[in-house]
Amino acid sequence: MHIPDGYLSPHTAGALYVVAAPFWAASLRHIRRRMRSRHAPLVAMLAAFVFLVMMFNIPLPGGTTGHAAGGVLVAVIVGPWAAITAVTIALAVQALFFGDGGILALGANAANLGVVMPLLGYLVFRALRGGARPGDRRFALAAAAGGYAGINAAALGTALLLGVQPLLHHLPDGTPLYCPFHLGVTLPAMMIPHLTVAGAAEAAITGGVVAFLGRHHPEIFEAAGSAASPEPAAPAKEAAS
Amino acid sequence: MRYRRGWIVLAALAVLTPLGIIAAGGAWGEWDIDGVRERAGFAPRGMAETGAAPESPFNDYTVPGLEGGFGRESLAAVITAFLGAGATALIAWGVARIAKHGRIS
Repeated sequence: MHIPDGYLSPHTAGALYVVAAPFWAASLRHIRRRMRSRHAPLVAMLAAFVFLVMMFNIPLPGGTTGHAAGGVLVAVIVGPWAAITAVTIALAVQALFFGDGGILALGANAANLGVVMPLLGYLVFRALRGGARPGDRRFALAAAAGGYAGINAAALGTALLLGVQPLLHHLPDGTPLYCPFHLGVTLPAMMIPHLTVAGAAEAAITGGVVAFLGRHHPEIFEAAGSAASPEPAAPAKEAAS
Repeated sequence: MRYRRGWIVLAALAVLTPLGIIAAGGAWGEWDIDGVRERAGFAPRGMAETGAAPESPFNDYTVPGLEGGFGRESLAAVITAFLGAGATALIAWGVARIAKHGRIS
């Protein structure tokens, strides 16, 4: 799901930096104002986890490979706003040092995997968990569902960005200048594998790790949301502050 | 060290990354320009112009001199896993500290 350079026009790539930037700013503001200092190593550890989990490629339907991304797991543990910074840094290291995802396309990849995935996945998690506490079965199942929703939302974002390129940028005769695949190709190519195998892997990893931590280290979930209250603050309210 | 067990789990994950290079085939839509030409029937002009990224020595989680064969590529995967995860953790920690305190220490 890491869009390489060349697939998006420079306009699209630049626009997605502009889209991602306010979320990066909100994430850093959240870290400054609400995250406890002692949770900085936890954010660092989860960013490293995101980097590593994306190295585990699994075979997907259609003969390609993919991987879990971890963004929702990070969001459930340290909150969606800190997750944006953690995932974006993992993506930046992948792009800069390992050629995994483009450098111009980093804004787009961060928007999909670093912003949409943790925020939307976390909203699904919050909606489904009800009053469940860490260690409850429902808490882990809600996290798994959030992981499934989150990775599919990121895959959808990626498919849309790639698939609109032939519509936005083509020669007068219609020949695409950048990603040559239309939405009719990109949507099924991205969504079928992610709705099935990759989504299931994301759900299993997110739910499994949350279940384990909930049973053995429930205190870790204090890092999500405001420092004073165990109840995570509403993301929408924080964005406005 | 805080979260010591977590870091041990991460180190174990890094050691296990060779499992992640077994799956055949690459990710959809991450081909180089030749791969796109093969699948689309032509090489889009803008893609050819903007796609050439500066190459890192560790491109695609390889290490110079460790190519060819599952054993050498596995070692490269483990090395790049430690390098990449280590760099990610250090940068994330630094960014969190700076965001929090305006300085690293």
